[in-house]
Amino acid sequence: MTDLKYGDKIIRMEGVIVEVHDGSVAIDLKGRLGYLKVPMRMFISDYPIKVGQEVAWNMSFVEQLGPEINEKYVSNLDTYTRRQKEMREKNQNNKEV
Amino acid sequence: MSITAETAKAHAHDPAVLCCRAEAGITIEAANLEDPAIFDDLVDSGLLNLDGALTIEEVLGAKLTKTCDSLCPLTADVVEGAKAPSKPAAPEAAEEEAAPAAAPVAAAAPAAGGVLKIHIGEGKDIDLEIPVGALGGGGAAAAEVPAGAAAAVAAAPAAEQEAKLIRSLTRKHFNITEVKRGPETKIDGTTLYIREGIEKECIDSQKLVYDLKIDIITPADYHTYSETIMDVQPIAAKEGEDELGSGVTRVLDGVVMMVTGTDANGVQIGEFGSSEGFLDENIMWGRPGAPEKGEIFIKTQVTVKEGTNMERPGPLAAHSASDIITQEIRECLKKLDESLVTDTETFDQYRRPGKKKVVIVKEIMGQGAMHDNLILPVEPVGILGGKPNVDLGNVPVAVSPLEVLDGCIHALTCIGPASKEMSRHYWREPLVLEALHDEEIDLCGVIFVGSPQINAEKFYVSKRVGQICEMLDVDGAFVTTEGFGNNHIDFASHHEQIGMRGIPVVGMSFCAVQGALVVGNKYMTHMVDNNKSESGIENEVLACNTLCPEDAVRAVQMLKNAMGGEDVKAAEKKWNPNVKTSNVEAIESVTGKGLNLVENEQSLPMSQKRKEKYD
Repeated sequence: MTDLKYGDKIIRMEGVIVEVHDGSVAIDLKGRLGYLKVPMRMFISDYPIKVGQEVAWNMSFVEQLGPEINEKYVSNLDTYTRRQKEMREKNQNNKEV
Repeated sequence: MSITAETAKAHAHDPAVLCCRAEAGITIEAANLEDPAIFDDLVDSGLLNLDGALTIEEVLGAKLTKTCDSLCPLTADVVEGAKAPSKPAAPEAAEEEAAPAAAPVAAAAPAAGGVLKIHIGEGKDIDLEIPVGALGGGGAAAAEVPAGAAAAVAAAPAAEQEAKLIRSLTRKHFNITEVKRGPETKIDGTTLYIREGIEKECIDSQKLVYDLKIDIITPADYHTYSETIMDVQPIAAKEGEDELGSGVTRVLDGVVMMVTGTDANGVQIGEFGSSEGFLDENIMWGRPGAPEKGEIFIKTQVTVKEGTNMERPGPLAAHSASDIITQEIRECLKKLDESLVTDTETFDQYRRPGKKKVVIVKEIMGQGAMHDNLILPVEPVGILGGKPNVDLGNVPVAVSPLEVLDGCIHALTCIGPASKEMSRHYWREPLVLEALHDEEIDLCGVIFVGSPQINAEKFYVSKRVGQICEMLDVDGAFVTTEGFGNNHIDFASHHEQIGMRGIPVVGMSFCAVQGALVVGNKYMTHMVDNNKSESGIENEVLACNTLCPEDAVRAVQMLKNAMGGEDVKAAEKKWNPNVKTSNVEAIESVTGKGLNLVENEQSLPMSQKRKEKYD
């Protein structure tokens, strides 16, 4: 694996819980710096999880590993989005009937 | 930060370094010294040079002759009245003998694969240790260890007592070579027919299920696109009135159930990211939880109501709908003629009085939604009768080893494809099998404990685990967990709760690089890493980093050593795959049995993504 150039540049990020599901939590990074959705088990909690609670974690910057495009991921993504679109349309039609 | 007298004693042979400025003339106490746990980083970064430093035991009580600043190593020229070092402890002597061999071994296998994790991510006062065999040329030192442990067992006053047969479980295997659709579900010779139109019943059975498709994947179709694999299940049924965990179980060979699905908007059920793709590039064949190469998959693709993919009822509905098909096959399987049995396997559960008593604690996910498991269904890996461990409050549930092997866990676990333990994993659980068949130990049972989301609840269930182990009067315990994440918090707590009662614990988890433990405590001294991936990461290959027979053998040997009072070598600072290699060699040389290591993702057709990203 390519080594990160700035991997040790650890910064404290804060965020606000904006969605709580049975299996995942979604977080808006404060300062409109992004959005993060993680499975429950990757989220450490001391209290019942509620929308509006503040969270924090250490992270670094996201770095490109290289200029290459991984065709496999592209093809998976294409398939996935195409199916989502088809299913969404089908689901919509079902409701109208 | 200064250390306590207790810490100083534990680190008696480590270098003595001042924690803060000290004036000339003082008598050196533990409170003047820095915790040796932090030295590695300081040495690495060049802030500390330990050359010529005296050990903690040497300087305690001696007089400082020169005023020194903090983080100054205490050498002979600034200390007066240093004690002579005590005679080295026995294990160290062994180490020295082995030392000449150590260097060549380490040098000989610089690029060896395999992994035993001993990296500590963050935390303080973590003492991770590895068995004596871990030192590079540990062959000689480790060779004596299991023998010593065995001797200790043999010398126990209980003398030779007869092993007592508790119960038996028989598996009758039926072979399937072809799966087809037909007017009714039946098994004709080695052909399994699945009724046309069964899909409708599956859909109607669950309010949340909008659609269900069945794909029959033969080896020729392995290179096809699939949604993320949620679960792999054996198709098995109890015979007559037999209960799960005893009597006779019938199982189909050559075919497995595979559950996949999305919600009505096409979003993967309980899933994150990109583990969908071509089946043959995404499955680590032959892992206990994964399919074998050559097996036929009956793959369901379930569509659940939009938005329920991440809610508890969604994944459960997908599993329940798929189980309608399995259940219909089970009914046929129950009626099959005995003449079709191709193989019979019997598992005997013995209690071995007089031998060291051990228990296996398996931590399963219980954070909610897809992080859930149904415990003890009526049929092997069924739905009916099973209780979700989230509803049980994740409290420990005691089961017999044979119940585990008979499919008492129906796993909904969905994330971390490489490390998740699917339903089939429990059906072939290597640690349970290894401990069950080991005549030197007395396996008293298996405890399943859920991993709740909130920390307070984690400690609540963990304390119950400790209490149960205390009541069981076990001599040793295994604690295993799947994957990584907040479940490592309870994993550490289980070690503490069991360890504080004086019971040696061996922990098993995927750790390596990416799953490095988030917490630790002084009882986490014996760890076995389940990692198999080349780079020590979650490589998106199904079941790659799950517990395998080779890990079970290492864990059992390690627990025997721990129970025999053998010291275990301290962990290296960073994850080093060679530790596993040398441990395996040590075990092979002692037992005289070869240990075939399983292959990792490098054996699969190389997908472009892996080639570029990871290796």
